[in-house]
Amino acid sequence: MVSKESCRNEIRAAIRQLSDRCLYSAAKWAGEQLVGIEQDPSNFTPSNTRFQRGSSSIRRRFSTNESISTPQPSVGFSQAATPFPEEDEVIDGDLYLLAKSYFDCREYRRASHVLRDQMSKKSVFLRCYALYLAGEKRKEEEMIELEGPLGKSDAVNRELVSLERELSALKRTGAIDSFGLYLYGVVLKEKGNESLARASLVESVNSYPWNWSAWSELQSLCTSIEILNSLNLSNHWMKDFFLANAYQELRMHSESLAKYDYLQGIFSFSNYIQAQTAKAQYSLREFDQVEIMFEELLRNDPYRVEDMDLYSNVLYAKEACAALSYLAHKVFLTDKYRPESCCIIGNYYSLKGQHEKAVMYFRRALKLNKKYLSAWTLMGHEYVEMKNTPAAIDAYRRAVDINPCDYRAWYGLGQAYEMMGMPFYALHYFRKSIFFLPNDSRLWIAMAKCYQTEQLYMLEEAIKCYKRAVNCTDTEGIALNQLAKLHQKLGRNEEAAFYFEKDLERMDAEGLEGPNMFEALVFLATHFKTHKKFEEAEVYCTRLLDYSGPEKEKAKSLLRGIRMAQTGFPSMDVEHFPL
Amino acid sequence: MAGLTRTAGAFAVTPHKISVCILLQIYSPSAQMSLPFPFSSVSQHNRLGLYLLSLTKSCDDIFEPKLEELINQLREVGEDMDAWLTDHLTNRFSSLSSPDDLLNFFNDMRGILGSLDSGVVQDDQIILDPNSNLGMFVRRCILAFNLLSFEGVCHLFSSIEVYFKEAHSSSDQYDAAINNSESLTHYDQMDMENYVMNKANEEIELQKNASGSVPFHLHTPEALFKVTEGLLVTRKEKSRTSKKNTEATPVAYASSSTHEDTLVDKSLFLRTNLQIQGFLMEQADAIETHGSSFSSSSIESFLEQLQNLAPELHRVHFLRYLNKLHSDDYFAALDNLLRYFDYSAGTEGFDLVPPSTGCSMYGRYEIALLCLGMMHFRFGHPNLALEVLTEAVRVSQQLSNDTCLAYTLAAMSNLLSEMGIASTTSVLGSSYTPVTSTASSLSVQQRVYILLKESLRRADSLKLRRLVASNHLAMAKFELMHVQRPLLSFGPKASTRRKTCPVSVCKEIRLGAHLISDFSSESSTMTVDGSLSSAWLKDLQKPWGPPVLSQNSGSRKSSTFFHFCDHLVSVPGSVSQLIGASYLLRATSWELYGSAPMARMNTLVYATLFGDSSSSSDAELAYLKLIQHLALYNGYKDAFAALKIAEEKFLTISKSKILLLKLQLLHEHALHRGNLKLAQRMCNELGGLASTTMGVDMELKVEARLREARTLLAAKQYSQAANVAHSLFCTCHKFNLQIEKASVLLLLAEIHKKSGNAVLGLPYALASISFCQSFNLDLLKASSTLTLAELWLGLGSNHAKRALDLLHGAFPMILGHGGLELRARAYIFEANCYLSDPSFSVSTDSDTVLDSLRQASDELQALEYHELAAEASYLMAMVYDKLGQLEEREEAAALFKKHIIALENPQDVEANMA
Repeated sequence: MVSKESCRNEIRAAIRQLSDRCLYSAAKWAGEQLVGIEQDPSNFTPSNTRFQRGSSSIRRRFSTNESISTPQPSVGFSQAATPFPEEDEVIDGDLYLLAKSYFDCREYRRASHVLRDQMSKKSVFLRCYALYLAGEKRKEEEMIELEGPLGKSDAVNRELVSLERELSALKRTGAIDSFGLYLYGVVLKEKGNESLARASLVESVNSYPWNWSAWSELQSLCTSIEILNSLNLSNHWMKDFFLANAYQELRMHSESLAKYDYLQGIFSFSNYIQAQTAKAQYSLREFDQVEIMFEELLRNDPYRVEDMDLYSNVLYAKEACAALSYLAHKVFLTDKYRPESCCIIGNYYSLKGQHEKAVMYFRRALKLNKKYLSAWTLMGHEYVEMKNTPAAIDAYRRAVDINPCDYRAWYGLGQAYEMMGMPFYALHYFRKSIFFLPNDSRLWIAMAKCYQTEQLYMLEEAIKCYKRAVNCTDTEGIALNQLAKLHQKLGRNEEAAFYFEKDLERMDAEGLEGPNMFEALVFLATHFKTHKKFEEAEVYCTRLLDYSGPEKEKAKSLLRGIRMAQTGFPSMDVEHFPL
Repeated sequence: MAGLTRTAGAFAVTPHKISVCILLQIYSPSAQMSLPFPFSSVSQHNRLGLYLLSLTKSCDDIFEPKLEELINQLREVGEDMDAWLTDHLTNRFSSLSSPDDLLNFFNDMRGILGSLDSGVVQDDQIILDPNSNLGMFVRRCILAFNLLSFEGVCHLFSSIEVYFKEAHSSSDQYDAAINNSESLTHYDQMDMENYVMNKANEEIELQKNASGSVPFHLHTPEALFKVTEGLLVTRKEKSRTSKKNTEATPVAYASSSTHEDTLVDKSLFLRTNLQIQGFLMEQADAIETHGSSFSSSSIESFLEQLQNLAPELHRVHFLRYLNKLHSDDYFAALDNLLRYFDYSAGTEGFDLVPPSTGCSMYGRYEIALLCLGMMHFRFGHPNLALEVLTEAVRVSQQLSNDTCLAYTLAAMSNLLSEMGIASTTSVLGSSYTPVTSTASSLSVQQRVYILLKESLRRADSLKLRRLVASNHLAMAKFELMHVQRPLLSFGPKASTRRKTCPVSVCKEIRLGAHLISDFSSESSTMTVDGSLSSAWLKDLQKPWGPPVLSQNSGSRKSSTFFHFCDHLVSVPGSVSQLIGASYLLRATSWELYGSAPMARMNTLVYATLFGDSSSSSDAELAYLKLIQHLALYNGYKDAFAALKIAEEKFLTISKSKILLLKLQLLHEHALHRGNLKLAQRMCNELGGLASTTMGVDMELKVEARLREARTLLAAKQYSQAANVAHSLFCTCHKFNLQIEKASVLLLLAEIHKKSGNAVLGLPYALASISFCQSFNLDLLKASSTLTLAELWLGLGSNHAKRALDLLHGAFPMILGHGGLELRARAYIFEANCYLSDPSFSVSTDSDTVLDSLRQASDELQALEYHELAAEASYLMAMVYDKLGQLEEREEAAALFKKHIIALENPQDVEANMA
């Protein structure tokens, strides 16, 4: 394991270099990790401890049940290979300083103009980067200006061509540093040349691993595990951050969690890692744990907006209205024009039952970020609540087109079509959603219900789905009950009895009571009686006697019948017909 | 969908429209302007006016011509003043050096419009009436320009520069091509200019074009830089697009190069919704007519681009679905279909939905079901399709969408009649619907009939003429294939008719064809204005002399008559397709009823008149029929020659039937020549073509089995052949293939005849005849009668008289309509009858026998049917022998020997076939 001290030194130097090159978000990320490293007790300062106080408690709480994973050999650090960020030349040119201040004032074109004749690698990078951003800015403007009658225009970043030409020329002559390679990768990606972009980004991160922006670009180009495995990355602790993130995006949550767990050995107080862990846990539907983690996170970093939409989802799912309201008001005061904030407020209104307002806020979130996946899905849910099915379908479909792996949106589509009385059509969508999340009992149950509708009435298929649901540990216990009922309906009493018994076991284990239990008991009692297994029948009847109501009378008469049968009298009661 | 409704029908100023405006200025110069009047005669002036009229009419077209094309057209129109016209046009463009000039230009345009109340008109001034077509155009342009924002004007200006620059360089090229003397220097300049331009771009440096004046430089003072920033951007755009074009040309698809060029046209997004919808409709038609021979990748790339430009235009997904459907990509097709309906909710672009009833709240997802059902049908999943269509019926009933219901019922009946579904109860019984459940106790045919009737009734009351027509055709098909029985029979009296009714078939076909006079009354909500207006321009160009025509002749369709019709009354493609289908159906029905000439004639009518507008599979069918006819009546040589032509044309179509036909012909040929091994192989290949799914491709499966039995028969393996035929009969019965049953029965009779078991054969022959009678299959009946007669003769020579009578009864039909083989067989059999008749003496009446034998051997020559030919020569030799004509006898014997040898050593026919 790398020493914390060397890590710290690397990051410190990297932050200086990154912010010197105006790569602010990468610098921000690095800064977060820097304070995430556990401090030496020797040079404690009060501010450090204050920052780290909160997160240690959560770590304590979860350290017991977290398995300590050993680093895999492929991931292990080889100290020798770790490059150390070289310090830049101390004195920047005057022009560079001017350009950087222009850049900081967001006058990109001016900045690039100032550096037009500078030949140092650093200046070249800043000039190109400024030009790229200027092009992006102009593109955004043109998108609005040229908005045609049929939607968006084909506005493109007009600087890409010249940038690509220049950067590729630089690359050929070798006069390019890792930052230039990063920019080259970004430009190539934008131009649609993904494989070349990947190669360039890999080269960049191999020579300078501390640029998190490069890693994230690379991650966005890894759309499958095969691509990810084919990358030739040299070992560095940054690679573990990358892999953890990539695994998460590829829905390999346990692998991702293992990585984060391992990284926490060094970066024990990193908010980033904590948030990512929470994300993975959310995907595994560990809501209680996620809620605690987010609470901790907010205590440490009260003005954090990133990832808070996830927290609001958890609160929504747990119907914690007060907490959600508190969160919504807080993010609103922090920064109301963030897509995350709008999403949180939308969730808040949705929980309050004000669906029109919720839709408005989701719309706002989408206006801020058109590719904001969860807002589309959530908006679909709202439209479903408002019974506006076409709009819901539209919203879900957009979510699916942004990310075809979004099982929630597929599920929503299926639900919407089922609502419109098109169960057969809906089946396709349920199948899709199950394909992406085969271990979720709710999806199987939804599909089974679809088969069960009176229009389709394909009970055999429904039974198959329920069986799958049972195998996926159905927490709500719908599947067992339905299986029993379906078998009963089809006249297969043996199977029905089997599932009723199982369902009864489940309800006993969870301490539940209710009509399902009566039903199961009555059926089992009658079933065993007709099969002359009087002892079992008696057990169930006596259980029924504990409850009041019509079932009790039923049980009494059944018991009477059993006694009669046992004493050898011909049975004359009418109760022995199956229900 | 908000994006669609917002600016539907918007009129945007484009560079092309500005050039039209410039020409208009020439056509009617305003009083203030000091333009010389260039026209030498009134007719010349009028000609320009007509041209301008057609230009303004076609300005709603999706693709606007580039300046270069416009100039070329001007050359044709302007005759001797073309140079002046183009010069003026280009000069005017080059004088537009800043957005401000555009403002002035449109101010000037106001001047050429006459004011409504101006009573004083000078004699020599031409005033444009503001309410005329041209005047309206000018006014729309001015209005559209005035509505533009500042950014809009800047963008318009930059696109004008691109427009002009492109044409400028290429018109140089054009000139260079004409003036050979200057060409070299010109090209040099051209290259230099391009080179400089790229260079300029690299250095982020500006340079005006050759005619322009002020060169800007980046190192100019800051203030100036700010001003020209807008220009800078447009410059780069221009050079970029021009570069794109040069990149595109080497790759250019030979036929679609112009297409491709316009595809990269950056101003596509300016088009109105209707234009693009119309264009997409055209493309959809094209996909259908060309099948998968239509380059699916090129249209795919275009669609991708269009989707980038107009993400709210969901019809793109539908087109993509069609494209995938025709290239047999199931998953992509399904995906795109679902995506289309998710986005559009079925409310976009379907003209079968009357707009007034558009209840947008619920969407029209029943149409999605209908389309999905038809897709499953096409991909050969009948049960899935039926399930989906049932749901469609249910949903459309729920939402009381009668139109969709009518279509769905028609689709369902089509499905049931096409796919061999043995019993629907397993599928339909599970789902509850009023329409289908009433029919649950009925057979498949009755169900088809009910569905058709229901669909027809609804379509009739909703005035859906196309559906009515196609339902009539479907009904005709049904009547052709099925004996009508009353649905509910009361007592023994009820079932009276046991025959199909050709009259009602004919009636239905006629009713279907009424569409051609009827369709105009149907108010189509979706007009393909884009295509129509471009057609308008083409028509106008026609009378202007040969150069234009010859230029366009490549794109002209071959059938001129209908082409005219197409434009004059503009028969929509779907209508002409339906009418074409009625001709094909006519041909098929005549084929079944046994009139070869009528069948051939109808097919020919179809191939000549509707060949271009029809879908590729229909056209293929027509070719198929003609080739089959050739094989039957002219022998194999001609048929194979024709097949080769057809192969080139149709082999790329998915599910091509050409391959099937080829195998059939080869099989037949091999059987005749006695090459059993080859025949067996062809047979196996035929079987391999069919889908493995039960109930799909029934026709093909039956065909393969039938041929298998015939091959076995030829190999003299009688019991096996009989087994195959028996099981085939069972299949036919199960899937209700009545007509096939008749031919299987005939084959069984044939098998028993060959095996020498005439007594067993008789009932089969009789059964076949009765089947033929009830389905009015006259030709098949004649050939059954022939077999029957042969069977009688096989019972002994004392039945020769009866056999002869039977044969003579069938003779008119056989000679009039039968193919070569049938006729030859009849002739030989006649001779056989005479010869075995004890009361017949050869010496007195030799000519009757010899004549028929000669006829037979002539016809068999063409067919290369060695076995029968040998028999004919043998008989001939015998007759000559009896007559004592030794020379002729030897000749006949030699012929006999030749055929026998050929039969015993079948050469590999494939050598010259492949």
